[in-house]
Amino acid sequence: MIHHIVRKEFTDMIRDGRFRWSAILVGSLLLVSLAHGWVQARKASQELTAAQATAREHWETQGEKNPHSAAHYGVYAFKPRLALSFVDEGVDPFTGTSVWLEAHRQNDFLLRPAQDATAAQRIGALTAAQVLQHLVPLLIILLTFGAFAGERERGTLRQLLATGVGWRELALGKALGASGALALLLVPAAVTGAAALVVANPGPTASPLARGAVLAGAYLAYFVVFLALSLAVSARARSSRTALVFLLAVWVVNGLVAPRVAVDLSKRVYATPSAFEFARTVEREMADGVEDIAPPDRDESTERLLAEYGVERVEDLPINAVGVYLQESEEFSNRIFDRNYGALWDAFRRQGILQEALAAAAPSIAVRTLSMGLAGTDVEQHRHFAETAETYRRDLMRQMNGDMTENSLTGDFTYAVGAELWESVPPLEYEAPPLGWVLGNRILSLAVLGAWLAGAVLLASAQVRRAEVA
Amino acid sequence: MTARTVLKNEWRLLMADRPLKIALGLFVVLLGYALTNGVVWLRFQEHTVEATTNGNVERASALQQELEAIEAGGQPSSPFADPRSPRVLGGPSGSHTAVLAPGPLTALAIGQSDLLPYYYDVNIYTNESSFHQNGEVENPLNLMVGRFDLAFAVVYLLPLLILALSFNVLSEEREQGTLALTLSQPVAARSVATLKLAFRALVVAGIVLGVSLLGALATGGFGSPGRILLWSVTVVAYSLFWFALAAWVNALGRSSAWNATVLVGAWLVLVVVLPAAINAAAGLLHPLPSRVEMVTAQREASNDAVNRRSELLARYLEDHPEMAEGVVADEPGLGALSWAATDAVNGRLEEVAAEHDARRAEQTALVRRYRVLSPALLAQEALLDAAGTGDARFADFQSQVRAFAERWREFFVPAILADEQMNASVLPNVPRFGLADEESSDVVRRAAVPLAVLGGLVLLVSAGAGVGLGRVRGAD
Repeated sequence: MIHHIVRKEFTDMIRDGRFRWSAILVGSLLLVSLAHGWVQARKASQELTAAQATAREHWETQGEKNPHSAAHYGVYAFKPRLALSFVDEGVDPFTGTSVWLEAHRQNDFLLRPAQDATAAQRIGALTAAQVLQHLVPLLIILLTFGAFAGERERGTLRQLLATGVGWRELALGKALGASGALALLLVPAAVTGAAALVVANPGPTASPLARGAVLAGAYLAYFVVFLALSLAVSARARSSRTALVFLLAVWVVNGLVAPRVAVDLSKRVYATPSAFEFARTVEREMADGVEDIAPPDRDESTERLLAEYGVERVEDLPINAVGVYLQESEEFSNRIFDRNYGALWDAFRRQGILQEALAAAAPSIAVRTLSMGLAGTDVEQHRHFAETAETYRRDLMRQMNGDMTENSLTGDFTYAVGAELWESVPPLEYEAPPLGWVLGNRILSLAVLGAWLAGAVLLASAQVRRAEVA
Repeated sequence: MTARTVLKNEWRLLMADRPLKIALGLFVVLLGYALTNGVVWLRFQEHTVEATTNGNVERASALQQELEAIEAGGQPSSPFADPRSPRVLGGPSGSHTAVLAPGPLTALAIGQSDLLPYYYDVNIYTNESSFHQNGEVENPLNLMVGRFDLAFAVVYLLPLLILALSFNVLSEEREQGTLALTLSQPVAARSVATLKLAFRALVVAGIVLGVSLLGALATGGFGSPGRILLWSVTVVAYSLFWFALAAWVNALGRSSAWNATVLVGAWLVLVVVLPAAINAAAGLLHPLPSRVEMVTAQREASNDAVNRRSELLARYLEDHPEMAEGVVADEPGLGALSWAATDAVNGRLEEVAAEHDARRAEQTALVRRYRVLSPALLAQEALLDAAGTGDARFADFQSQVRAFAERWREFFVPAILADEQMNASVLPNVPRFGLADEESSDVVRRAAVPLAVLGGLVLLVSAGAGVGLGRVRGAD
């Protein structure tokens, strides 16, 4: 019996002009956005790889100079595009793409692509993620709002039940029929996406296909939530019109209202300092120290070295006391940066977690968070790269100051080294975090999406069981 | 049957319709929430603006004290930061912060103000790359999602409310069988529909404009009546577009369910799909060269400049004889050499930036050309312009800062080239940034194009609705 229902629903849908047109629209938007994202991501990836190579070349060919001058010259780091970023660009347009790693300072990431765009470009980005998160649920609603309510209005529900089919079977059949129709659209998109992933240079992502598979699973769960909700409402509603209005309201709150309300709410609960205030605090703490972090004292440092080496004058030290002092200043400023940037990143993280929790009111927030996480374009993975770059900077500074300390004497301003030292510094190699790390960060969203899935399916079966025939 | 009768009955119907009252109440609550978000953001920015202004005063008075102390025989606090040197006095430690006050109606539309920088520290080293600094410290996630402000509520949610109120304005009467009864009176379907929609328009516009004016009142935005007028006209025109569309669809004489589907589809295409498609097309047809090139160019130019400093100085002095007074080109000081290198880097950056800006202008032009397809884009542009948080005001600010940086250099560079020292007597003459904010008339002129197009769309759709309603009969 059930396969008759499935076949009837499926045929009904693909013969319905409204479905055909909206499916063609959504399907082509999905394919166009995948292609567009893929082209953009590949171009950006090539540019970043080239820029990173040039930056390395600049470093290696900077000529003879004092290691500390080289530390000031520094090196640029460019954030690589991860393999799956073509599906979901996430926060990438709003984070900088490059950072200057230089002596004494932890710099901000600069060059946010969104700053070059217009306000109009900010209200709508055509990415596969947008289509999947917003348009596909809408299509599901349009497909299924009349599943029960419509049959009831036409009086066919009574006939149908008279054939002896159970409610459960009927509901399952309708769900499968709609899924079949949707699959016509989603399966080609998923295959295209997977093919693009295999063909494209997959960037520094560990196991892109595994990430892709989990991503597909998260979206599938999200669609089932909508399918179940829609069937539940259709079974309960007095008329198909009521069902449609209610489901559209759910859609608006889920995709439009809740995410933005969550942003402003999270900003109020976990406030962040202004850029001006932040810069001032760092400047002040760098000058005076803070709490138990005191700036290094140059005389004290020299005294200690004299005692350590048992000599009277700095000239007699076998090492360069300036190099030691410079490294001590680095260690000091690193603690200041860790303190301030750490607090800022933590505030961002808390804002993010609060928004994830608010996914209890809107599953789009949960699937959005998972999607960005798996595509490698969420705030946490930006932080991961930023911290890798910062660690690299600190190692670089330590190596430069160390060379100066060990190979020159205090007061020797003519000491210079060349390419040999520059080349001995390993290039910045970024390894994207593994899938487990990403999912570990996103346990809350996984749980909330899981709860939505279970809740929606239970609700649907309860509503269908209690549905009225006429 | 008079207009009063229709309006009176509509009011009774509204009062009796509980779900509708709940929907309207919810909308008011959302608008209130949106407004408070805007006000909180405005206060945050005002706080920063005040801090930058104080910072300018503090820096200037600290420099003055130090210079006076040195003149009285004291020593500079550090030999590397002697304020008598024009490279220090005009450099980062003597910099002046140029700041853009928040747009007068920021509380209504946060717009680009959470993304674009609204203050720059200007000194002799300010160049094109200085404009690549980030704006406010903000969670990128929040920037991506966007804020819940009144402009968002107007552009996205208001049409939905309007459609919910009017998708069945005639079809319901037909379905209930009351249309034939109504039209048996000496009254045209066109006037009935117009009056019914006018009543709804009054309710909706009253709510939105009321909250907007409240916001303007609470944040001192009444200082710019032109902007408030522009905001209100845009809200009304945008609302009228959706009411007219609903009237047209109702005139087609189909069922309420059909009307609802078509209108929601229209909303989806005009507000969600088209803006995204236009943006995607702009990105594909006119891809922006990435700013990453700028980093490389800057690096290469400065490597090159350091190696060729003397040569560059000679060329600089040829190019800028007005700056060269008192400089002996054969024996330039270290300051002059290093300035020549800085200037060469700046020149190269300007070239790269100009190329980038040209490509960006092409992309923007394309977006602007096709925005006429989407009333949402037109309304958004006019609303942000009215609020003073649109792209144009920030671009104008940036070009004023560019000009100010030029004045700043003209003040300090001759002294650098001549290797001269400065003293406290020059301080009153150091350039100060004064923002020449756009006038209301500039804003209105700029918004005239999107508003005119929006008005054209309203007329077009209204004409269609008018013709369609003229054909409506009581019974089919």
